[in-house]
Amino acid sequence: MSAVDSAVTDRFIEILDRLGEKSIEDYYNPYQMFVWPDELPEDMFWMSQDLVSAHGTDLAEELGPSGMRSLSKWESINFYSLNVHGIRELLTEVISRIHMPGFEVPSDFFHHFIGEENEHMWFFAEFCRRYGKKIYQSGAPKLSRVEDTDVENFLVFARILLFEEMVDHYNLAMSEDESLHETIRQVNRIHHQDESRHIAFGRELVSLLYGTLRDRLDEARLREIEGYLKRYLVYSIQSFYNPYVYRDAGIADSLGFRGRLLADERRRPFERRAVRKPLSFLVRTGIFADDVLPTV
Amino acid sequence: MTSRLDPVREWILARHPELDDLDSHLDLIENRLIDSLTFIEFVFLIEQHSGESIPMDTIQVDDFRTLNSIGKRYFQLTD
Repeated sequence: MSAVDSAVTDRFIEILDRLGEKSIEDYYNPYQMFVWPDELPEDMFWMSQDLVSAHGTDLAEELGPSGMRSLSKWESINFYSLNVHGIRELLTEVISRIHMPGFEVPSDFFHHFIGEENEHMWFFAEFCRRYGKKIYQSGAPKLSRVEDTDVENFLVFARILLFEEMVDHYNLAMSEDESLHETIRQVNRIHHQDESRHIAFGRELVSLLYGTLRDRLDEARLREIEGYLKRYLVYSIQSFYNPYVYRDAGIADSLGFRGRLLADERRRPFERRAVRKPLSFLVRTGIFADDVLPTV
Repeated sequence: MTSRLDPVREWILARHPELDDLDSHLDLIENRLIDSLTFIEFVFLIEQHSGESIPMDTIQVDDFRTLNSIGKRYFQLTD
């Protein structure tokens, strides 16, 4: 089993050291950091308008400004819920590898990663429970295991990276959006700052792990891996179109509404924007042969 | 003969062009016709065609293993 240790390069160790030091320098207490008002105003958008899943379609017109504001509230709760579940799943994977054979070199950074992700999960859950009185359930059970350990290691960290990169698109936009409430901007800003370290680490790790696969696997298997990760990207995009959210926003035919949005070509440019950076990374590193995503 | 399960069967076949037909007792999960990435879309499809609301926290994966089990649980069909 190659895992990470047998493939590390000087560059990887240098980056790990730098990111670890940065984690220590930037350390903060999330439990004291946030200002949580009792409630957030219902007459404001809770998400940047162009991040709302109906934006740019006829359905946005049908909902009108007040319907879109309500949708933005529940979609923001969905976004933070996706973060809670995404972090819970990635923590499980990282904890099962820390200090295990093959993962000694990154284990020190894993400690920072686990600590920071645990804190992110707390503030996202806190937001959901305070202002939405709920965390949306995650629906994707783990149904099968990958037989090849090296492939599984690669896919785990590739999924973590893709998840973090997509989330970061939303975080960055909302941290800069002056029309949003300061608490919403703060949550997104702080997460964006920490995630920039995690994304830098993830890109190095994913490149390193892919190198070992490229040397060992045939082209057909590598393209299979590409196909899986592309489907993962589409799955992640679709999780932003949540029928339970549409129901909470008062939309009667929530599944029909979702179907119309997924079928609306005017949504594609907004979706592409959310995955632009990870797609370009995956093409540049040769993990993807092209940037074409499968249609639903 | 048409069945209320036809849209479910067609949805799976459309994603697996290598298959001509689908045995109603075939384990969809074991045979990787449904995986973690398609499971949720599959649940939404069944909800849409059965008209039965399926809350995420009540989902039992075994109910979705075969067309037969889906028919029994969500479409009130018998063998």
